[in-house]
This record gives sequence, structure tokens and C-alpha cells, in this order.
Amino acid sequence: MGVPEEEKSSLLLDEKLLCFMEQLELLEAKRATLNSLIEQGWFSISKARYSMGNKQVSALQYASEIEPLVYVHARTQDTSKIDFCTERPAQHCNNDSCKDQRSVEDIGPREEGVRRRNKPKKTEKDTSESEGSEKSPEINPVQKSDQNPQQDPLKWFGILVPQSLKQAQMSFKQVIELSAEIATLQAAVLNIRQELKLSMSNKRTARERLGSSVGQDGRLHNSIDSEQEEAKAEHQATDSQ
Amino acid sequence: MAGRGKLIAVIGDEDTCTGFLLGGIGELNKNRKPNFLVVEKDTSITEIEETFKSFLVRNDIGIILINQFIAEMIRHAIDAHMQSIPAVLEIPSKEHPYDASKDSILRRAKGMFSAEDFR
Repeated sequence: MGVPEEEKSSLLLDEKLLCFMEQLELLEAKRATLNSLIEQGWFSISKARYSMGNKQVSALQYASEIEPLVYVHARTQDTSKIDFCTERPAQHCNNDSCKDQRSVEDIGPREEGVRRRNKPKKTEKDTSESEGSEKSPEINPVQKSDQNPQQDPLKWFGILVPQSLKQAQMSFKQVIELSAEIATLQAAVLNIRQELKLSMSNKRTARERLGSSVGQDGRLHNSIDSEQEEAKAEHQATDSQ
Repeated sequence: MAGRGKLIAVIGDEDTCTGFLLGGIGELNKNRKPNFLVVEKDTSITEIEETFKSFLVRNDIGIILINQFIAEMIRHAIDAHMQSIPAVLEIPSKEHPYDASKDSILRRAKGMFSAEDFR
């Protein structure tokens, strides 16, 4: 009864080990892709630096307000398995035409504010009315800050950036996607490793238990045999008498 | 916060950080704390370690990307991190190619096949 159990646990262990190896292989393949993509990205950044100037592509160009354009969701699945997946919130008004429309809207109220500055003093009623109308320019900075999060990091380095910088952005976007996949695989590898360790120790304890029980059986058989021999000897003695 | 998802943090050289920020992972939060650290020649190991630990403590960070040569400087801190979130990913840098034998995750996985396990 004990042997099939051991076989079963061995098969399970083999299955897990194969799964572990597969995950490691996949991890290695993804790592290789990530490395080549990063290299490609660096090469494109270097090309952009060459064409734009040494100081034009550096940490000094980072914006003062930076909002993330990509998020990662860590979903915990059954048996502590974690799945990382990236999400890019939909960028509204990313087209140039849409941006143009916004810029026109922004300019309008500002001009109005300047015009009002030169107006002669008004009565109290007029001032109360104008307070209401002056509220509209106050809203604009809020709209502007709403627009900021959607700002493409490419714009930090200028309006007309070289194609190589766009290529660098594309490669790093792919790297970000891949890094989430690699994080998932790493978590899976560590998880399987833990499971393997547990089932290995289980198998070892089961084997030890089986070994000890077999030992006891052996001792039992030996004692029975010796008793039978003693009985035989006694019989022989009585027969001779 | 729950619906928004987590951030990806980077500790790396200038080009690595620039690349990932171009990809759109950068954030400066309300306290003007960034989720990235540009490591230069004069950046101290203590600063790197403190930043790494602060990223570990932040619950809005899901993945930490770190150049492998920088990870080597703070290996003890990386090895001490056992949780799966945030996940720590070691990436190559321009001067130092990726070496799988140095990666803490792969070393942990490799450690499974010790002589003791094959008894």
C-alpha cells in the first residue's frame, strides 16, 4: 500500500520539477528579449543625443510635474500565485487636432482678462457681476493641470524630437510590458520552488516512516522464525526420548 | 488607489531612467517624491539603499526595476526582501551586461538543487 503512494508522490514531484524547468526556460527567453529591447532603446537614445546635442537628452530635461501613464495590476490568484499586468489608461485627445482645439480654448479667456484690465472703475453692482465672470479664468489652470497628466514624456525633450527618440520610447514601452511578464514568471518560479521543497520533504518523511515500519516487520518475522525453530527443536527432543 | 493600479519604480543610470520615463512610468507624488532614482557617479550606496527601502515600504509600487550593477551594491537588502510584492527585477545597464548567476531570484531557485535535496 505504501509503495504506490510513494510512486504517486514521485510522479507529482517530477511533474512539478518539469513545470519548474519550463518556467525557468520561459524566464530565460523573456530575459533575453528584454535585454535586446533595452539595448535597442539605449542605442536609440544615444542616436537622439547625437543629433540633438549632449545635454538635450538628460535627467535635466525631466518635467517638474510627472504623472504616470502606465500602471501595473498585481492580481493574486489561487494558491498565492501572483499575476502582474500593465495597464495604460486611455489617453484622450492624444491627436494633434484635439490639442490644437484645447490650445485655442486656453488662449481665448486669457485675452479677455487682459482686455478687462484696462477698463475704467465700475460701480459695486458691476464689480459683483465681474467677480462672477472673472471666475472663468480661475478654472483654466485646473483644466491645464488636467491636461498635464496626459502629456507625452517625449515633449520634455522638445516639440520636434528626432525619430530615434520615438523609437527609444517604443522599445521602452515594450520593455515595460515584458518586465510585468517577467515579474509574473519570477513569482511563479519562486512559488513552484516552495511547492517542490514542501513535497520533497513530505516524500522524505513518508519514506522514512515506511522504512521504519518495514524494519519493525522484519524484526517480527525474525522473532517468529526463531520461535518456530525452538518449537521444532523441542519436538525433535521429545521424539528422541 | 485600489482601482488605479500600482506603479513601476526604477533605480538606474541616467539612460535607463530616461528610457523608462519615456515609456511613461514616472511619477512625482503630492509630496514631490519620485518613483525613480538616477544613480550617478557621486550617488552614495546609503542613498541607494534608503531609496530602495523606501520603495519597498510604499504600497503604491508593484515592481522595482534596478540595474544589476546597482543591485550588487545593495545585495544584502535585495536578498532580505522575500515578499512577492513589490517584485524586484534586475536589468542590465549600458556598461554591465546582465549576468543570470548574480540575479537573486535565480540564485534562490538554483539553491534548491543543493546536495542535501538529492539525498
